[in-house]
Amino acid sequence: MRQFFPVEDLARDERFVQTNMAERMKDARTVADVTSSRKSRGKSMRLTPDRHDASDGARSLMHGIMVGEIQALEGAGRTAHDFAAGDGSGDTIPFELKLDMARQAWDEARHVEISVKLSDWMGTELGQFAENTVLFEAACSNDPVLRLAGVNRALEGLAIDVFTQMKEFGDIAGDPYLEFCEDWMLADEVTHVKMGSDWLRKVTEKDPDRRAKALEFQQVVDKLFSFGGARGETEESPIGLARRFRELAGFTDDEVDTISQMDHDALEERKAAVRAYREQAGLESATV
Amino acid sequence: MSSSPTAGVSTAKITVTPEQFTFVHYEAAQIVDVVTEVGALLGVANPVHVIVDETTPAAKLSAEVAGSSSDETITIRVESGALENTQRFTHFGADNARMSLGRMLLRARDRMRSDFADVPGDLDLSNDENAAWDVYCAGRLSRAGLDVNEQRWRYNYRNRFGFSDAADAAFERLWSADDLGWVDLVNEG
Repeated sequence: MRQFFPVEDLARDERFVQTNMAERMKDARTVADVTSSRKSRGKSMRLTPDRHDASDGARSLMHGIMVGEIQALEGAGRTAHDFAAGDGSGDTIPFELKLDMARQAWDEARHVEISVKLSDWMGTELGQFAENTVLFEAACSNDPVLRLAGVNRALEGLAIDVFTQMKEFGDIAGDPYLEFCEDWMLADEVTHVKMGSDWLRKVTEKDPDRRAKALEFQQVVDKLFSFGGARGETEESPIGLARRFRELAGFTDDEVDTISQMDHDALEERKAAVRAYREQAGLESATV
Repeated sequence: MSSSPTAGVSTAKITVTPEQFTFVHYEAAQIVDVVTEVGALLGVANPVHVIVDETTPAAKLSAEVAGSSSDETITIRVESGALENTQRFTHFGADNARMSLGRMLLRARDRMRSDFADVPGDLDLSNDENAAWDVYCAGRLSRAGLDVNEQRWRYNYRNRFGFSDAADAAFERLWSADDLGWVDLVNEG
């Protein structure tokens, strides 16, 4: 079976249209409050049921979760297969790490099925929204330790934040299916992040340079997943940072503080970019 | 219950602001085509002015019309996300536009009825009122031949009115209705 699968070759049927972060960031529009005018969602951007566009926002996010689960399945499967069993040095990974990746692939397959059913429940068709392939791209590194950092810690860490947000959404809206399904998936995600945290420490125990590179890569991916401030601890971000669950998954307080700061910086960078674009285009407020 | 004051084939003048877009890859002509098509389908013959806020990907909509005659201009304000192809950011999506503009044309047509005379402006409606009216509009659009995902509107309705058999029954009544006044609509919701 083929090893090291590029993102361009992911198998999808004609319902799916793929995009990437570069395309996403070309969009000069923003929901961030870059002017003194009030955007239609008001000051708080947090995805809660009282937002006027809550249902459509939740449907879009649920679709993002669904395609993210597909890519997480593909990523974990690739990591289980791409590297030979060994002591963790070079291109090898411990056999027990392969088993953890296989278990994760099984979890992700179940999450895909759950997410498809939830999408149907919410009135979303498969492929209705663009599929951002950034998640699988983080799983394409030639170094398995970088995959652990990028996928298990950064990506699955984001999943913890997103599932916490959606669980809360279901709880407030009184949607039992959404609330419980997100809770069950959240439990798995905490386990996946913990696996990444534990294996990253173990495999790089005697190789501090490799560990430093992996953590640096994790920061790059975390910044990408900040989506220009889409995740953060202020009400300006639709998705919150789930500190408690991240702690359970093996993140230190310092690590979470760093992510929080990156989220904040990403939001400010995005706002500055949009402000500059608006000035360049000679636009003032144009809100409805 | 009064009948629609604007029945007939749409030959109305349709204008779009802005005429040229900077933030999104939309053409004013695409919007005119959709309003023409859906207006004809629904029998709305009024002049229509569509004002697009292209600086936000949000999707808030509102419609207003000053009087009840077929000469009155319907003004539709729309954030760009409501006209977007959800598979291709910043690109126009005709299906999404049909659904968004169709709902607003129906709201405007409703507002021309005497039993909608005291209804607050769209931006002043509560989430519950919006959800109920959206179901009433989406059901009619479906029967008019548009491709409508009924479950999307059921889910939105449940988020506002509860995940219960009673809410589902109210949804079914709104979805299948064709001739409601505002009081009926709100009471149903």
